[in-house]
Amino acid sequence: MKDGFRQSMAWLHTWTGLLVGWILFAVFLTGTAAYLRPEISHWMRPELAAARPGPQNAEVAMAAMQRLAPRSTSWFITLPDTRESAIRVFWRDPAPRDPAARGRGFRSAVLHPDSGEAVAARETQGGEFFYRFHFELHYLSVFWGRWIIVVCTMFMLMAIISGIITHRRIFADFFTFRPAKGQRSWLDGHNVAAVLALPYHLMITYSGLVIFMAMAMPWGIERAYPNDRQGFNTELFGNAAPRPRASQPVPLAPIAPMLEEAARRWQGGSPGRIAVNNPGDASATVQLTRAGHERISTSAQSLTFDGATGAVIAQSGEAGPAAQLHGVLYGLHLARFAGPALRALFLLAGLAGTVMVATGCVLWAVKQRQQAVKAGRVGFGTRLVEHLNVAAIAGLPLAMAGYFWANRLLPLDLPQRAAWEVHAFFAVWALCLLHPLFRRGRRAWVEQFAVGAVAFALLPLLNFFATDAHLVASAQAGDWLRVGFDLGLLGCGALLGAIAVKVARHAPAAARRPARGPRAAEATP
Amino acid sequence: MTLLGLALAYAGFLALSLAMERHHEQVLAHRRIPARRRQLLFWGGWLLLAASMLPPVAAFGWGLGLVAWTGLLTAAAMPLALLLCYAPRVALFLGAAPLPAGLLALL
Repeated sequence: MKDGFRQSMAWLHTWTGLLVGWILFAVFLTGTAAYLRPEISHWMRPELAAARPGPQNAEVAMAAMQRLAPRSTSWFITLPDTRESAIRVFWRDPAPRDPAARGRGFRSAVLHPDSGEAVAARETQGGEFFYRFHFELHYLSVFWGRWIIVVCTMFMLMAIISGIITHRRIFADFFTFRPAKGQRSWLDGHNVAAVLALPYHLMITYSGLVIFMAMAMPWGIERAYPNDRQGFNTELFGNAAPRPRASQPVPLAPIAPMLEEAARRWQGGSPGRIAVNNPGDASATVQLTRAGHERISTSAQSLTFDGATGAVIAQSGEAGPAAQLHGVLYGLHLARFAGPALRALFLLAGLAGTVMVATGCVLWAVKQRQQAVKAGRVGFGTRLVEHLNVAAIAGLPLAMAGYFWANRLLPLDLPQRAAWEVHAFFAVWALCLLHPLFRRGRRAWVEQFAVGAVAFALLPLLNFFATDAHLVASAQAGDWLRVGFDLGLLGCGALLGAIAVKVARHAPAAARRPARGPRAAEATP
Repeated sequence: MTLLGLALAYAGFLALSLAMERHHEQVLAHRRIPARRRQLLFWGGWLLLAASMLPPVAAFGWGLGLVAWTGLLTAAAMPLALLLCYAPRVALFLGAAPLPAGLLALL
């Protein structure tokens, strides 16, 4: 019976993993890149200098919003921190000119932290694109994109748990990697990437589901709060229920005393976000939310003030245990609390997850190919998986490089420039999907990895010609973030190059043994 | 502090791996491990792993510290798994890393 159970778990692991493997690979890789969202955004706006935000930026931001959107019904302000030097704002457009535009009636701007003027930078989504893509894809409505990701994440959780059960020798093979042994090596690599970062994989998958719990498992909420999602949100997230507009103009109370009050109640903590409802009206509210990098949990500590009088209306932060757990899981997933060292660990674990999915997909193809060779013919399914493996695994890094290239090469005054950068990403990826039709097997792998390596390695060079924010200038200006990013791009190029060389030189175990089918070695790296 | 935690975790995993015949052979060329040495490696490894928890917890407090520790365990075990098969000598020498890392943390 025990064997039967393991067998069925192995079956479950194989098929849950394979069915959604390509999407999971993209989610893992772009999600890992999203740990560097502010850094990517900074690099993609070469016009921005490394500003040192002063202490006055909350006042600056509020004054700027008075100018930019006095008639809007809500403002959302993200204040600068150690990683992001600009103020990011978005607000509900009182009279949207283009209701079909992505953003659904919201407008946004990036402001200088000292002057409050909109910074003159090229139009780009920056790191925001990878972040959005990893949980709602693209070219799909937000609703369908998120549903697809939620379903894939559930498959991922099933694959992890069934994988643990299937793995017989989890401790005996803990450190075991045996290279150059064909299928065995792929299995070892898959196991090492999975087992050694298992806490991370479980955390990231489970917390991903928790973030979308209201979508994936709505029944509990609907039972406890029938027809009252707002009441649930108020209690869980500490969002005060919106107050109806009074249509009575009253100027906003100054923000400085509110900041002092917040610092007092949070033992010196500072706000990271400001949300203002009905500014300039008697019903105005100002909500300060504590900066994310000060604690793990995102169950945001927030303070809500009456916008007209400046008095405290509501304070959240004393959440019940379930809400606290929700906040901690949410925070662990986003890892905004992480300083440089901790962020490096999250990056490493994220890459381990990427490798785990990739080796899993390749392992399936290697196994099928061996069986197919024994049986004498290679089926369509095997070929399809091999083809998609190349496009998904080797193609995605190349597409990401294409996104960066588009950022530097597209004309600055191109209408919808930010959207075209994203189109470039998908155009490159689409080419990667077609390419294996013409170059079969290992060649396709090597070529896509090699082109990806060259594309990444040349980006710092392209920087010299396309911008003034190149490696030398950045080093002279002391913008170490840019210098680090350029060096990181070179590192990505070197890594992809090393993979390309490894795949090109690799002689599959099956090929070294005589009396095997002639095509045994062809399709897998 | 992160470095000391990483070095201790690495040394701990190295000791635990050397208590297993396959890796003992990879590094030291003998498959058989004397019983006392195996005991020493096994318990010493667990002790080092437990000790590797202290630097991150001391640096970040319990909440963040435990998160960082979990990450450190991964960051220590992955290179070890690769070094054991590609460069077993290096794997062994890196086991001494807690000494310089400890000195650095004292400065």
